[in-house]
Amino acid sequence: MGVDQSNENFEHPLFDYMEKIPGADIGLTTADKVLSWGARNSLWVFPMATSCCGIEFMATACGRFDLDRIGTVARGTPRQCDVMVIAGTITVKMAPRVKKLWDMMPEPKWAIAMGSCAISGDFYRNIYSVVPGVDTFMPVDVYVPGCPPNPDHLFEGFKRLQDKIKAKRDGTWVEPEERPVTGMQMPSVPRYGSPDRDPAYDAAQLMCTQNMHPGGALLKEGVVLPQPAPPPEPPAEPADGGES
Amino acid sequence: MTWPIDAEKLCTERFGLELCETEGAGVDRTQLIELATALKNELEFGFFVYVVSVHYPAVEPIEADEEKGTEAAPGIPDRTVVHYRLRRLATDDRPTECFAFFTVVPTGESCPSVSSIWAGADWQEREQFDLVGTVFADHPDLRRIMMPEDWPGHPLRRDYAIDTQHFPWR
Repeated sequence: MGVDQSNENFEHPLFDYMEKIPGADIGLTTADKVLSWGARNSLWVFPMATSCCGIEFMATACGRFDLDRIGTVARGTPRQCDVMVIAGTITVKMAPRVKKLWDMMPEPKWAIAMGSCAISGDFYRNIYSVVPGVDTFMPVDVYVPGCPPNPDHLFEGFKRLQDKIKAKRDGTWVEPEERPVTGMQMPSVPRYGSPDRDPAYDAAQLMCTQNMHPGGALLKEGVVLPQPAPPPEPPAEPADGGES
Repeated sequence: MTWPIDAEKLCTERFGLELCETEGAGVDRTQLIELATALKNELEFGFFVYVVSVHYPAVEPIEADEEKGTEAAPGIPDRTVVHYRLRRLATDDRPTECFAFFTVVPTGESCPSVSSIWAGADWQEREQFDLVGTVFADHPDLRRIMMPEDWPGHPLRRDYAIDTQHFPWR
């Protein structure tokens, strides 16, 4: 999403010693594989759980699904963690705190956006206090969609993160293409202040607020509610068609 | 809902108030502290349930029009209605009972704070100030509690545009 990621250029201090030894360059590739293997099999998680997705994260970490199988341990401090799982709605007031915790985590680090709210804001997207997606202020590696996602889905997200770490260390990582959005795009109504916005929406909003008044439901004259576009007419049938 | 008899008697006889069936007694702002103190000390309403503000926008007056058949109606200024709800816990003599009263605060004026009577009203009044914009006079610490400190406006007012662009994320 246009956010610079410096994770893949991580240099371990072990390389400085290896380069001084003559003939040890060959060992560097092996050491690199070992480091990559260690990195992707000891993903310690910082659960940034703010709402119901956090419950699913707890279920993933508990006995039935057992996230510990892939060396993933949940820690309560960002200083010891590699992966931040943003599970839940991030509000405008919470976003600076999330960014601060993200900056506290040592490199290399990755982020998983879990659930619709963390990915795009979902149905809170148009609310005044919710950030429309955490990738607007921090980099995200893996998106796990769902509302909330199953533990299976989160597990799949961890597996994909492992694949990504491996591919980045090997140099075989290919950035996925940005696919065009085919489904419904939000917001369906253009935002306030946008030139595409119909002024009738503003009037309708004002009218709705006055309608909520129990004493006098006064409607301003001349205000017309925005009407949906008429459906296109079906193509005319041929005059001599229909016979079989 | 039927209100407790002694509370109803207190409102109608001593303060001369009318009781609404759903919202309780409508009290003027000048009598609010007096009524609240009497309810707390004399009638043992010690449990403060909530205070809720509702903002209503101004309604313009309309003139009578014989052609359309409309009647004249006076205008109503921009105002906030503050609802209070109290409860007293059960004793051997009576069950748990609740009582409610409300007051109307025009926009630009302040409502007396009851946080000196019920300590539980402190943060709830801060919340109502934050979201609806009702100013509570004599409140010990009236500042925002839920929204960020530099937030413009009060989100639950009727004239607050829902999709106003406030932040660079939008």
